[in-house]
Amino acid sequence: MSETVPRPPRIILEEEAGPARLDHAWEAGTEPLAIPSVGFSTLSLLAIGVSALILGFSALAAGNYVAEQFTRAAWLGWLTLAVSLGGFGVIGWAAVREFRALFRLRQVDAAREAFARGDLRSAKAHVLAWAEPIPLAAAALPALREAPDLPALRALLEAGPLEALDADARALGRVAALQGFAATAISPSPSLDALVVGWRGLRLVRQVAALHGMRPGIVATASLLRRAAFDAATVAATEVATDTAVRAIVTNPLIGHVVGEAATGAVAARRLITLARATAAACRIVPRDRM
Amino acid sequence: MALLPDPVRLLNEAASRSAEAALALAGRERVRLAVTGLSRAGKTVFLTSLVANLVAAGAGRRTLPGLDLGEGRLRRARAIPPGVEATPRFDAEAHLAALAADPPEWPARTEDLSTLSLSLTLRRHGLYGQFLPDREVTLDLLDYPGEWLLDLPMFLQDFAAWSDETLARLSTGIRAAPAAEFLAFARALPANAPAEDSLARRGHALYRRFLLAARDELGLRFLQPGRFLNPGPAGDAPLLWFFPLPEAARGSPLGELLERRHAAYLRDQRDRFLDPVFRRFDRQVVLVDVLGALHAGREAFDDTAEALAAISGTLRYGRGWLDLLTGGGIGRVAFAATKADHVPEVSRDSLSSLLSDLVDAPRRRAEIAGAAVSVHAVAAIRCTQEATATHDGRPSPAVRGVLLENGRWATVDPGLVPARRPPESFWHAPYFQMPVFRPPGLDADGRGGVPHLGLDALLAGLLGDAL
Repeated sequence: MSETVPRPPRIILEEEAGPARLDHAWEAGTEPLAIPSVGFSTLSLLAIGVSALILGFSALAAGNYVAEQFTRAAWLGWLTLAVSLGGFGVIGWAAVREFRALFRLRQVDAAREAFARGDLRSAKAHVLAWAEPIPLAAAALPALREAPDLPALRALLEAGPLEALDADARALGRVAALQGFAATAISPSPSLDALVVGWRGLRLVRQVAALHGMRPGIVATASLLRRAAFDAATVAATEVATDTAVRAIVTNPLIGHVVGEAATGAVAARRLITLARATAAACRIVPRDRM
Repeated sequence: MALLPDPVRLLNEAASRSAEAALALAGRERVRLAVTGLSRAGKTVFLTSLVANLVAAGAGRRTLPGLDLGEGRLRRARAIPPGVEATPRFDAEAHLAALAADPPEWPARTEDLSTLSLSLTLRRHGLYGQFLPDREVTLDLLDYPGEWLLDLPMFLQDFAAWSDETLARLSTGIRAAPAAEFLAFARALPANAPAEDSLARRGHALYRRFLLAARDELGLRFLQPGRFLNPGPAGDAPLLWFFPLPEAARGSPLGELLERRHAAYLRDQRDRFLDPVFRRFDRQVVLVDVLGALHAGREAFDDTAEALAAISGTLRYGRGWLDLLTGGGIGRVAFAATKADHVPEVSRDSLSSLLSDLVDAPRRRAEIAGAAVSVHAVAAIRCTQEATATHDGRPSPAVRGVLLENGRWATVDPGLVPARRPPESFWHAPYFQMPVFRPPGLDADGRGGVPHLGLDALLAGLLGDAL
């Protein structure tokens, strides 16, 4: 360093008034990375197309048929119209129910996002809309309405409806496991085992969803199964260990000799319990703190 | 801590450490971070920013990109709700709200201890880690008055040694003038000075007046005892009424009274401050306002270096088996030059090099003992942007921000920042008071985090292995 006096510090005041605060555009720069939506999947597009063709052409054919019947006789036309409307009405009702179930699932997503954002108003609105049709949550509704902040809202949910729902979901899982085990124990063939456990699993998903105020049809059940598969990654932390332990014990040659075919039933039963927990986690309006 | 170990406490610590080690094996770790810094180094702002940015990162925001928390590994960060603790809670939300308010306010001088624990839920590394439960790391943080830190070296001295060293320091350099009245009083005390309370209180008042002037007017930091400057919530009490006494009067009844009070003060500080704060922690960040010391002149700069060396000399570094068992050793140390946003980007490396030179002795001591040491330049809250100032017709890098006092925009050229201890010629420049900038526009609830400089790199060095 030279022995000359270094450049001294200085303050240069600006004449022009600027904004009252410096803006680093920090909020925008730290936004969570959003994975762009890929839109409808190929399968969804195929399903929509096939449904549109079937329903659309059916509706057109039905319209033509009704018109033809009116040319034959008025009473025949009215009767055909009533039958057509009834049939299509039931199909439409089923579709509305599907969409409502899907909407409930989206509401769970929206509430989770609001919690993550720290948006109390939005989170509360979604929580109340979610809780209203659930009988187990009725007692907690006044407290949820008055929750002053997000931690309180979350704590009220966890201590009230979510605890009760989790307990009921576990009970449903245990019943399903018992039934699955019993069914596989008495079933005459392994292929029938798979069918029985698969059917019981689907029914279990719908039961747990119904517990959470949903009435899922085919599409909503598929969506729920997909979510449950993702959430299972978090639920399964302890479950995988237990599952492995059960499998290790029951597939031991000596024990296997004793328990025979019941070994596979035990593994299947264990999986049904995991499925119940995963489905409950997928329907949860706030993710679990820890599993 | 290089103090005489209490066997009962050692056993307690060992038992508690064993329990913690068992919890750590089960994925429930506890990391104690001591935020160390002399007064006005920016401890409170550092903690506020640390909490806000970790909580925001837990909500998915990329506030700490330098910390390896990618792919959503930090699933959640939250302040652990208060339990039945006797220590006040560090109110990060209130500090943040004050910074975001209009007009904004920087946190006032810290008057008491306060603590906060953060719970960090982390997804495990690796493929097999995905099949195990998430890890839960508890990060214990603590804020306290920086003045009290200088009490640590006092525990290594008795009243006589402390008096001799303090009086010697008072008699030289820029301290001599403000200390003149106190020194004249102390040196005039006779060898048989009576244990008269008015004498003790007069000496204490004069000594305290010197300490306040040295801190506020001269920018000095090596000032003891800390509670004379910042009495804390307990306020003034008879055990504070002592002062360094020349050897000639030490055998007098007054000398005995002052010695008893000195011992009582140290006992009280041990219970009130030392045990809760420095009994057990495994990470340490040492915050230093290098720029402030540099601008306050050579003596203030040397004083800061001396104070840091004295504090570090009392802490135990390294991770030997005994340290791990009793929780006495510091495994990772980060030295940080705060207010790095007050210098342009090109000078920030010099700032950290200067700090590295300033803390050379404690840094080497920690490294030799086996602690991982890193040196950083950080701004817990970034208040400026890059700018250019013209000096004698030549452009020079500068920073630009809004002044706190009048809300006017100003470009500040902080001058040359030397990369190591400056030579004599550097001090010929007139002393400079760095202006206080307004904090940038902030979200009052802090959910978006806080703009910072280098906080992520510091945390990576300090906590990277635990996260």
